[in-house]
Amino acid sequence: MALAVGRGQLRIGIDTGGTFTDIVCVDDSSGSMRVTKVASTPSNPAIALVRGIHAILGETGAGVDDIAVLAHGTTVATNALVQSEIAGLGLIVTAGFRHLLDIARQSVPEGYGNSYFWVKPERIVPLRYVREVGGRLDFLGAELRPLDEESVRAAARFFCRQGIAAIGVCLMHSYANAAHERRTAEVVREEYPHCTLSLSCDVLPEYREYERAVTTLVDAFIKPHMSRYLDCIRDELGPQLSEKPFLVMQSSGGVASPDQVMRKPIATALSGPAAGALGSAVMAEIAGFPDLVTLDAGGTSTDLCLIESAKPKTTNGGRVGRFPVRIPMLDVKTIGTGGGSIAWISREGKLKVGPRSAGAEPGPMCYPNGGNEPTITDANLVLGRIPPALIGGGIRLSLLRARQGLEKLAARLPGAMSVEQLAEGIIEIANWDQANAIRQMTIQRGIDPGAFALLSFGGSGPAQSPAVMELMGMKTCIVPPNPGNLSAFGLLAVDWRTDHIVTKVMYEDAINLPTIAAHYASLEKDAVATLEKNGIAPAKTALVREADVRYAGQSMEVRVPAPSGTIDAQFIVELIDAFHAAHLKTFGYNYAGQQKVELVNFCVSGFGVIDRPRIPELAESGAAPKHTNRRVYFDGGFRDTPVFARASLAAGSKLDGPAIVEEFGSTTVVFPGQQLTVDRHGILIIRAANKSAGALK
Amino acid sequence: MMNVHSKEWPWPTAPDLPAREVDPIVLQIVEGTLNSIEAEIEYAIERTARSPMIREAHDYRVGLFDRYCRKLTGRSYSAMPNAVVRDFQPHTMRPGDVFLMNDTYLTEGSIGHLPDLCSTVPVFHQGEVVAYIQAFGHHDDIGGRVPGSMPGSATTVFEEGLAVPPIKFYSAGVRNEAVFTIIRRNTRVPDMLAADLDSEVQACLMGARRMAELFERFGRETVEACFQAILDTCRDIFRRELLPKIADGEYRWEDYVEHDGVTDPKLHKLALTLVKKGDRITLDFTGTDPQSSGPINWPGDYAGGAFLIKWVAPVLRNLADTPERAAEIHVNEGVCEVFDVVFPPKGTLITPEWPAATNARSFVLLRCLGLLAGVVAQAAQGRMPADQETIRYTGFYGTDRNGKPFLSREVLGGGSGGRYYADGNDAIHIVPDSRNQPAEFTETRFPLLVEKLALRTDSGGAGKRRGGLGYDKHYRALVDCRTIVTADRVRLGCYGVNGGKAGTPFCVTIDVEGSPRDLGGLVDGEPVLAGQIVRVVTTGGGGWGDPLEREAELVERDVIEGKVSLAAARDDYGVALKPDAGGDSFTIDAQATTALREKLKAERPGERHMIDRGDGFEKLIRGEIKAWTRST
Repeated sequence: MALAVGRGQLRIGIDTGGTFTDIVCVDDSSGSMRVTKVASTPSNPAIALVRGIHAILGETGAGVDDIAVLAHGTTVATNALVQSEIAGLGLIVTAGFRHLLDIARQSVPEGYGNSYFWVKPERIVPLRYVREVGGRLDFLGAELRPLDEESVRAAARFFCRQGIAAIGVCLMHSYANAAHERRTAEVVREEYPHCTLSLSCDVLPEYREYERAVTTLVDAFIKPHMSRYLDCIRDELGPQLSEKPFLVMQSSGGVASPDQVMRKPIATALSGPAAGALGSAVMAEIAGFPDLVTLDAGGTSTDLCLIESAKPKTTNGGRVGRFPVRIPMLDVKTIGTGGGSIAWISREGKLKVGPRSAGAEPGPMCYPNGGNEPTITDANLVLGRIPPALIGGGIRLSLLRARQGLEKLAARLPGAMSVEQLAEGIIEIANWDQANAIRQMTIQRGIDPGAFALLSFGGSGPAQSPAVMELMGMKTCIVPPNPGNLSAFGLLAVDWRTDHIVTKVMYEDAINLPTIAAHYASLEKDAVATLEKNGIAPAKTALVREADVRYAGQSMEVRVPAPSGTIDAQFIVELIDAFHAAHLKTFGYNYAGQQKVELVNFCVSGFGVIDRPRIPELAESGAAPKHTNRRVYFDGGFRDTPVFARASLAAGSKLDGPAIVEEFGSTTVVFPGQQLTVDRHGILIIRAANKSAGALK
Repeated sequence: MMNVHSKEWPWPTAPDLPAREVDPIVLQIVEGTLNSIEAEIEYAIERTARSPMIREAHDYRVGLFDRYCRKLTGRSYSAMPNAVVRDFQPHTMRPGDVFLMNDTYLTEGSIGHLPDLCSTVPVFHQGEVVAYIQAFGHHDDIGGRVPGSMPGSATTVFEEGLAVPPIKFYSAGVRNEAVFTIIRRNTRVPDMLAADLDSEVQACLMGARRMAELFERFGRETVEACFQAILDTCRDIFRRELLPKIADGEYRWEDYVEHDGVTDPKLHKLALTLVKKGDRITLDFTGTDPQSSGPINWPGDYAGGAFLIKWVAPVLRNLADTPERAAEIHVNEGVCEVFDVVFPPKGTLITPEWPAATNARSFVLLRCLGLLAGVVAQAAQGRMPADQETIRYTGFYGTDRNGKPFLSREVLGGGSGGRYYADGNDAIHIVPDSRNQPAEFTETRFPLLVEKLALRTDSGGAGKRRGGLGYDKHYRALVDCRTIVTADRVRLGCYGVNGGKAGTPFCVTIDVEGSPRDLGGLVDGEPVLAGQIVRVVTTGGGGWGDPLEREAELVERDVIEGKVSLAAARDDYGVALKPDAGGDSFTIDAQATTALREKLKAERPGERHMIDRGDGFEKLIRGEIKAWTRST
């Protein structure tokens, strides 16, 4: 897998999902874009990856030589964490802190009184594999007690005897001084040369010992999985393809080389949703709606992400599975309703929709070999809102089975509902759930959803999102071209990225400019070295400084941009002003002029800037688009509704609801009282025709 | 006695109408949206409030109520709007009105101590009040004798800060500036408190708008029918699913708070008789001790016990078939149709008379949960969790090395009790999502060095399912300073159930490396010298079931993990372990274990109690425990 960008003109993005592997190919010379799907191969995802590359090359009639770059989004890290049994990990901590993981942050998940019956899950490392070593640093990094190398040696021998293959090291205040951790690594390697090691000073050099330890252990756990996976890809690609530059998506929303990924594989956890959010951000800009909420509805769940000024929000307070992982990642919220969500009756006799899901296996009742409980997809089918065959005819659906399932459910509910009434009700419940989830997410982040647009993608999003948009009183709902492949598209739209961070707590009155300058210089040097190693031309390199700042005494920081250039008094003034402003925006107040601040972490992100793919403009056409008709159920009755093929819609087309727009991999429903326009890039823009009448405020 | 539903109350009570059929789809939408509105208000408060007690310790509550003051959501407990409606007739309320209160004796039992200032906002539909939204947070200071407004030796409410009876704080959207000025003048942190109040008021107003939208969308009749269905579901779950686990009859037990900061040592008794008959339960607290001269009193005898019922009833969820099912059961006002409460006459720990102090009422409040759990354990053949105590405040204050004043306050959890299906949890806190302070944060902020952050070996009560372990946290002072503590369960451990043993109590020891001295649980500024270590050990949970029945492999694992000592494995569990050749581990000596377990069984006294209170109780009864001595 080569590093520098190749000579060809095709950029290929491959997004591996649970059921399908999506492939997008953009021709930089013409701007044309092509998409396809192949079935995923979960036992070795690399097989589908390579199949997909060859499939899209076949469709475009191009050869391997025409490829400029391959970009890949993978869920290997996430799946390993969620699906595999976590075993074979060891942890080395400072003497006195053996129970660090067991104590965690003493939190019990939501629900008052749950402490009586909640059962704390097993820790990522059982206590018997946590070993203490002597030696202590203070928060400035000064040594209070020297490292007890004998205790390190004893720990290494113990892990070797016990067959513990991967070891995390997290010593107190290692973010301020890495010497004890580095020496620990040397000693461990002397005693146990073949073990996998992750040091907290490399993975997350930032204060908060519990979160740092867990993040480090997750990294240590993922390392062997990722290494095996990248080896498989190399093997499957074969000699020709592996000459091409190969980039892997990271959760922070940048791509990196396989070498860079292997140094810190945790950075790829959650890279799947990140690609979708980035693809959305590009669409946001193109469509002219820079502020939007993205809604990616898949089979089992829906991912929500906020995009402001065409930039997805990031967080470093995220989780992967049940583990808090404090690495920068796109702020994606997942809720438990998707096309496969099951409609069922609770023990109390209430109708519920989700979070139980039929997923891809067995799938909705209407699918071939589908399950035995009705789902949202079955409800959509019964109402005629989705066609009787999916994926361009690839999957035929059974209307009969869907009806039977819903009939059975309706019989168990009061009120003698018809199958259609129940189906519409199920979708209504799912829409309200999504609307409530969007409200919670926007309130948590201090944003009024009314000023935002809703961007809908994923297989099952656009059939319902225009209704969710109206429930929320949002401006508009937009559906990008190829909504089923937006994640793969996102892979082609992102920059090379490397993140570097160091903790150095500095009170506002005791700021030491040379120290700050030295920290930034060192972080920038690391970032440039990483980018250089990856063959990024200096002209394409960009460095961005940030800092985590808080009011003195608070325990929560806000990450703010730091000025580039000389680090002088003006730098500090601008940084602190930026913090006050960000605090006001995020929390609704600030203490500008009243309270002193503390600088906590200094961060540098290095970018290798990649040209964004262009989306070709559609031709305008005066002719009215052709359509077929189908009976579709809206507001309590079937209506004869026009059905359009998306490819037939020209720029500037306008359709009044009700209408259906079908394409490979997705169906958009325009509800009665809504109007759809097609913009010049083929993006569907749906509005309430008479907003004040349609909206619920 | 007036029960919750009496027509005599000075607020409207719900008419007794036959249940109406509701559209299952609208019902699901209304219920989902109510839960979402509650969460939205919480998120808004969390985002904009300033007190660390709200932001970090998550000590704030939100409630949604119908026009009969009935609580509709059940994710947490909350205050009640009854006192507001008592003093302000609904027809006099206007959109934009906001009511404020914290007076523990004038809030119908819903506010327990003065730092919990509570905002109430009416919801309007077509000009009429149709619902209420409420939020309160534990604010950092509302005046009184000591910073934080929780003086451990207070004997009257006048030492605890500013008391606000229900008042109109905003009139049709306009704030009463006189009230605001008085409140600001009476706290040590005026800006922080003002900002917190603003955050809570704005969040409630937002919630009220959201609730009004529901009425607008679906119509009043439908929404109110949904409310009734939501309440009925909770009532029916208790009646059909939980109550049948208790045989009809009368069950009696008592538990104690063992100090009040004023009269020490002394046991303060809380007595409870539970009468279960058909689909009703009566909780009778007759026999409870007189009110304390210290601050542990809880004014609970108002509104027919509506607050108390909703506070303690969730304990019965432990009777659900599985813990997963228990977590699904939300407790709303519907539960008040299942319970009646009999209060003792005025003048007891739960019926105190003004102006008795109440700031440490959490001792009695929390004990009532364990009291009910203990009674039910006897009624349900021990199928209840053992006891836990997971809230106490510890801290340090003084002047740091830069000459600046510092105050470090932390809420440290404890071990939870063993259950029939699992060991207790180690070091947790009852308030959901509350977080402890990372040691690296403590050391960066304060002149303290955390020498040890560990679980205390052997603190969990022995049992077939062991109690969770408490903390063993060692702070080395780097400057001369003072330490503060507000903690209960310092002599009586958390009780064990069904043969399980009590956990070990809370303890603060000063000068651990020199001449160690125990300080007790209510400490108002004990001096600590630079270099000295203060050790805080928190309560272990009670054990569940006979420790001699614990699987030997689990005891072996506990010893390897340092949760149980070799000696306790032998003496409490009857498990003999020998170290491996490599020294890495232990193995069970099966033969010796069988012999040891038989011997221990034979030596046991004949009578076995459902509940084990531990050594401290016996010693207190025998008068062997003396008051703590302090140097100040």
